[in-house]
Amino acid sequence: MTQYIVRRTIQAVPVLFLISVVSFVLMLQAPGGPAAQFNQNPHISTAQINKWLQDWCLVRQPTLADTIREYLGWLGVWNCSGGSFLSAHGLPNFLPPFLGGGTNGVVHGDFGYSIETGRPVLSMILERLPATIILMGTAFLLWATIAILAGVIAAVKRYSFFDQSVTFVSYVFYSLPTFWLGLILIFIFGVTLRWFPVQGIVNVRQAAAPFGTPAYWAAFAANPLPNIWDIAAHLVLPVATLIAVSIAGDSRFVRSAMLDSLHQDYVRTARAKGIPERQVILRHAFRNALLPILTNLALEIAFLFSGAIVTETVFSWPGMGRLYYEGVNARDYFLLMGILLIGSVLVVFMNLVADIAYAIADPRIRYN
Amino acid sequence: MAIPTDPALAGGLAGRAPADVATADVEVALESLGQWQLAWRRFKRHRMALVGLGFFSFMVLVAIFGPIVLPYNPLNIPGAQQPGGDPPSLQHLFGTDDTGRDVFTMVVNGARISVAVGGFSMLIAGMVGVLVGAISGYFGGWIDNVLMRIVDTFFAIPLLFVILVAARFFGEGQVSSLILIFGLLSWPLIARLVRASFLSLREADFVEAARAVGVKDARITFRHILPNAIGPVIVAMTLIMASNIVLEAFVSYLNFGISPDQTSWGNALANAQSALGLGNWWWAFFPGMAIAVTVMSINFVGDGLRDALDPRTRL
Repeated sequence: MTQYIVRRTIQAVPVLFLISVVSFVLMLQAPGGPAAQFNQNPHISTAQINKWLQDWCLVRQPTLADTIREYLGWLGVWNCSGGSFLSAHGLPNFLPPFLGGGTNGVVHGDFGYSIETGRPVLSMILERLPATIILMGTAFLLWATIAILAGVIAAVKRYSFFDQSVTFVSYVFYSLPTFWLGLILIFIFGVTLRWFPVQGIVNVRQAAAPFGTPAYWAAFAANPLPNIWDIAAHLVLPVATLIAVSIAGDSRFVRSAMLDSLHQDYVRTARAKGIPERQVILRHAFRNALLPILTNLALEIAFLFSGAIVTETVFSWPGMGRLYYEGVNARDYFLLMGILLIGSVLVVFMNLVADIAYAIADPRIRYN
Repeated sequence: MAIPTDPALAGGLAGRAPADVATADVEVALESLGQWQLAWRRFKRHRMALVGLGFFSFMVLVAIFGPIVLPYNPLNIPGAQQPGGDPPSLQHLFGTDDTGRDVFTMVVNGARISVAVGGFSMLIAGMVGVLVGAISGYFGGWIDNVLMRIVDTFFAIPLLFVILVAARFFGEGQVSSLILIFGLLSWPLIARLVRASFLSLREADFVEAARAVGVKDARITFRHILPNAIGPVIVAMTLIMASNIVLEAFVSYLNFGISPDQTSWGNALANAQSALGLGNWWWAFFPGMAIAVTVMSINFVGDGLRDALDPRTRL
């Protein structure tokens, strides 16, 4: 088992490498660049812009060689300020700092600085992380619970009115574009009925400070209840948007997994032994159906990450997805690369967790 | 006996005498037995799938002929009477946006680009996926290893994130570039499906027989194995088409997709959120409804195809 985990982890390295290369090249070759923000400014000379780009280790309209050099700089193999593969100590730059290597690049744990704000990418991402975790965590818990409940009941009462309603509703919701559902919910519950706020995570007029700042958390700790209430009210619409489409797909998955399980021999045996139907369903059928369901859910945690972009842009939720959207607008290469890398690691990690969980839960599977 | 793994044979030879089956020339049998006729017969029993097919065909007709028939130009900005846009009326069935553009015209014109992006990206994904999956599954070995690592990479990319960056790369919001990006990013699922069926089918007896007779690799791949592996692929392709239509809408909604001088359903929605507060629901509602109903009909067709192309489903 340990061997399997180690092998999978090693296999993940080239995958992550490939992802970072592809996205980096795509990004830098894309038309327009971070320097475009100065185009309209008559007080900034071309020389100044070039100096500014150079400080960022970038060039205007990079050739492929430039792009590779910039990528290696981001990675930490190329020493950008020295302009060579050697660090200031004259040793290969990719070595850890205490062995005389450089300090730049992700191999040294340095995600670089945001071109737009000049702040460290990692701290920008960490600042936005709580909002995303609050949104995604709530959504995931609700979605998993509802999907499993609906799917299991639909499978047990197959072809009943409930089953057919679940099937029909899930067909309808599965086809709705998530962001459009968000717009419709905003119109109905935000604009017309005025039940829920439609943007942001906190009410900016009442909050002591912008969400995520130390001052906010201090105020939050001093008086948690109204603050939690405030966040909960802001959560309703984005969470509803996020889970409606996902539940639709997952409840059907749970239903078919449960149906498979209900038709197995061990279920018939359990029934023949005279075990109460309730226990047959919960202990025998559901326990076994849980396996594919859990795997599926683990994989979907990764998809939540993409879901973040959709809901967070529609609802102006100050999380990572919105940060990415702002980064694309500003061509903030290093910020984008930071988020992409973290996202890809998350996906790869979740795939691994799903496989391992499967192996642990199912004694028939052995990875050798 | 390899016959049961071969849907055309399993379905079509059911009525024949066993002696016939044993001596049947596999290549000839595949051509004459009408795998597709059987599939169509099964498809017709799925009522929602028929409705879906009907609606989707209607949408394609709208996409082709609608823009020619309609009186308004979707890019004409006459100005609206009310600040948020005029509500639905006889002149403007779906109302207008805040600049007075007719929403009905936007929906009809948008069908062209949205359906084209979904359809053509699906074809690209299908071709690349089948090719990669077939090569990977048929040859195995290091070729398989390399190709599957590439597929793994695609699966690990948070797709939406890359598309937002890539959309700017391939030209400034041209339809053809969006089709290319979506197609080239959505083939791995198909490659995996094709590879999986190839792994089991290449050991099947009818493939062995073809090889013994001296049929070439390429012909075995595309003439003998592929028809048996095609069912799940077609179903997956319908799903890809549906999700790419939604994806185009979202990317254009964020103004990263189709350029604003063209009309797609996503473009029609692009600024609709700003008018919601003024009570203008029609601008956001109708283009989104067009997406939802089209995607739903494609999903129903996919569901019908799943039953129709599964050789285990009997009439």
